[in-house]
Amino acid sequence: MEFASIFWWTTLWLLFWGIVGSIGTRRIYLSKDLDTSNAVLMGSLIGASLGPIGLLILWLKTPEASKKFIILPSLLTVGILMTAFALADPENNCVSNSSFVLSQITNGLIIGIIYGLMALGLTLIFSILGVVSFSHGEFYMIGGMITYYVTVVWFPGIPPVLGIMIACVATFILGAVFERLFLTPMYDGRIERPVEYGILVTFGLAFTLMYFVQAVAGSNPVKAKRFFDFPRIRLPSKEDPWLIKTSRGNMELFDTISISNPRFIAAVISILVLLGLLFFLYKTWTGKALRAVSQDREAAAIAGINPHRMNMLAFAMGGMIAALSGATLVQAFSWLPHVGLIPAMRSFVIVVLGGLGSLPGAFFGGIIIGLVEAAGTGCVPDPQKASSYIPAYGMIVLTLTLLLRPTGLMGRRFASGTHGKL
Amino acid sequence: MTKIKVLWLICFGIVGFFLAFPFIYGGRDYEYIMHICITAFFYAILASSWSMLAGYGGQFSFGHMGFMGLGAYGTALFSHYFYLSPQPTGLCTEFAFGDKYFIIKNPIGVTSSTLTQDCLTKAIENWNGSVEVTPMPIILGILIGASLGALFGLLIGMLVLRLRAAYLALFTLGFSEILRATISAEIDITRGQAGIELPHLFENGVVLFGHEFTKTDKIPPYFVMFFLLLVCLAILAWLAQSRFGLFIRALREDEDAAAALGINIVRYKVLVFVITCTMAALAGAVQAHYIGIITPNNLMIMQMSLVVAMAVIGGLENFAAAAIGAIIIEFILELLRNSFVIGGVEIDMTIWRLVFFGVLLMVTLRFYRNGLITPIIHFFTRAHVAAETVAKRTRESSSNLIV
Repeated sequence: MEFASIFWWTTLWLLFWGIVGSIGTRRIYLSKDLDTSNAVLMGSLIGASLGPIGLLILWLKTPEASKKFIILPSLLTVGILMTAFALADPENNCVSNSSFVLSQITNGLIIGIIYGLMALGLTLIFSILGVVSFSHGEFYMIGGMITYYVTVVWFPGIPPVLGIMIACVATFILGAVFERLFLTPMYDGRIERPVEYGILVTFGLAFTLMYFVQAVAGSNPVKAKRFFDFPRIRLPSKEDPWLIKTSRGNMELFDTISISNPRFIAAVISILVLLGLLFFLYKTWTGKALRAVSQDREAAAIAGINPHRMNMLAFAMGGMIAALSGATLVQAFSWLPHVGLIPAMRSFVIVVLGGLGSLPGAFFGGIIIGLVEAAGTGCVPDPQKASSYIPAYGMIVLTLTLLLRPTGLMGRRFASGTHGKL
Repeated sequence: MTKIKVLWLICFGIVGFFLAFPFIYGGRDYEYIMHICITAFFYAILASSWSMLAGYGGQFSFGHMGFMGLGAYGTALFSHYFYLSPQPTGLCTEFAFGDKYFIIKNPIGVTSSTLTQDCLTKAIENWNGSVEVTPMPIILGILIGASLGALFGLLIGMLVLRLRAAYLALFTLGFSEILRATISAEIDITRGQAGIELPHLFENGVVLFGHEFTKTDKIPPYFVMFFLLLVCLAILAWLAQSRFGLFIRALREDEDAAAALGINIVRYKVLVFVITCTMAALAGAVQAHYIGIITPNNLMIMQMSLVVAMAVIGGLENFAAAAIGAIIIEFILELLRNSFVIGGVEIDMTIWRLVFFGVLLMVTLRFYRNGLITPIIHFFTRAHVAAETVAKRTRESSSNLIV
């Protein structure tokens, strides 16, 4: 336990110089009449990684805040934290056990892709309607619930893909109907403060859906069967160490990395959907129209795109994407009516981290959050507490983002309407 | 008699009714009705302070229940862990405080074998009743709980209120969930899901008007909660009609314009956030002492959605309407508790009533933007005439701009 103090003192040291760096750099850049938009982030990162010496050099030279000066110190900061942690707790699983670390990283990546997909739906809605949908988690929950009911209760034996598709169609219709009924008055000035109305009415939808599902389905946890069993494979077949070995519910790579089947399948489906979505957004007319509306509403309307129809499409598609990630994960986790809350919050964190309204930002943000959560659950010494604090890791990231770079990693500062404003 | 006088008469009538209610009501379910009243006042404080934040200030916080929980857990932990003793225990963390000793009990888990193993219980056993240990005064705990709410409100406000409305909603939603997760996980200190017990508001009974009330009597907490509600409403009324109220309404309508007119928008947003969070924490602390136990489930987002529904259905942009709405909805919620059977299918009303309120929330938002109670108040104050004129003008001017 005496080693643990190393970690805390290092964290304190990083925090202190990070704060000094962020405040001092802003002052100095302002006094020299330089661009401060990224200087705060750069100052705090250099302060945290290199301490007073780095800050002194930074303040004397005042270079322009470029990617080089942000990425290198941030990697260094993470490195210092990891070294301090390793020194503080050398017995810990995520210091001493390399296969555990590799497994955690792989699982973090896999779950990060799924998170990224879900956040993509939220950011799609935001970039086009300018509304943060607080019912996103409930769409996720409903997607899982419908898939469970279709594949297990109503039509047992149906191919799971069909169940997922039914869930998608149902949530798409639900999203479209809700948008037509409740969100249309936002667009033409019938509501005085559309952003706030959007927050409240989607929150109301979340409330209604959550209790509706609880009333219909009850509050006992349910879980769907595995969609797909791995065939038994062992490559190469005889030798030890193997490259890949699968049992029905699990897959092991290189004798070290273990991936559970439901997560793997969910990630594969997510990647396929993601590719399809990218194709849709960048290659089809409708997708291009969607992106056009998100960039400039008026210009898109002049070019012959009906922005109202795009609103409906965006909300329905955003909800459907959330439902899809729910549908793929219902085989991995047990499902309850209020299961959507934590994924919804995670999506918020991802979307803010990636930049509100940025599609690639949501994807990379998802992977970062996946890795952070994997590190958090793997490395916090008390495993029971580690898993109950899962939402807290995301919140730490969110707090840091809001403090250092509120626009997010890939946020657009000057987009149309209310979207780009902070 | 003008309409405004009628409104004042109705106000005094309502206050007078609630003042007299515990003495004139004599039904068999007296305790139950009183309990609903106290809970309704509690929700009225939450809903009216939330309407000040959201309706007047335009800042949507979904962490109001989290701040309520901060207040409740603040006072709960304070009264649970801190004691004054005339003699040192020699077992606990303690230091001299005047001629007494300030004792900090050690946190223990919730397993039944360790429930009585804390250092203070052992010390009392050793003393064999020769030393009288005094718990901390409850009012101090409540104040500490409220200031905890204020402190966190200040920190979160300074972090998030620089940004647009959606960020506050996102962050506070996360904050209350983290708080819930923390309280559930730190079982040693907070007892996790088992909940932590608190002393009653008047642990040793209280004498009012020559009548002695025991700690479980409903009348003292009823009046405590009712006066707390009145004080909160008075503060909100004063805030709403002062320059402060004008400022926050101005920044709700247009932040940039308000800033251009010289209002320090961040300061006023933080201020309104801190004030309303303190009220929530205060209400939570008092309610926790009244109920006698607080569990992390009280902080759940579902509770928050109830507060939102109450404020919106009552009238988001009028704190009095939100308070009345909360009281009415709390009573309706209780009335709707009875399940019934239609065509062999049992309808579990404990859940369906909440679905009903969710739908009502959305419909109110969509079609009665001012809520269901505010129009009644407006009928008397004739505020709708001014509002309609403003709306008509903006519609005319905006229809010229937007094609």
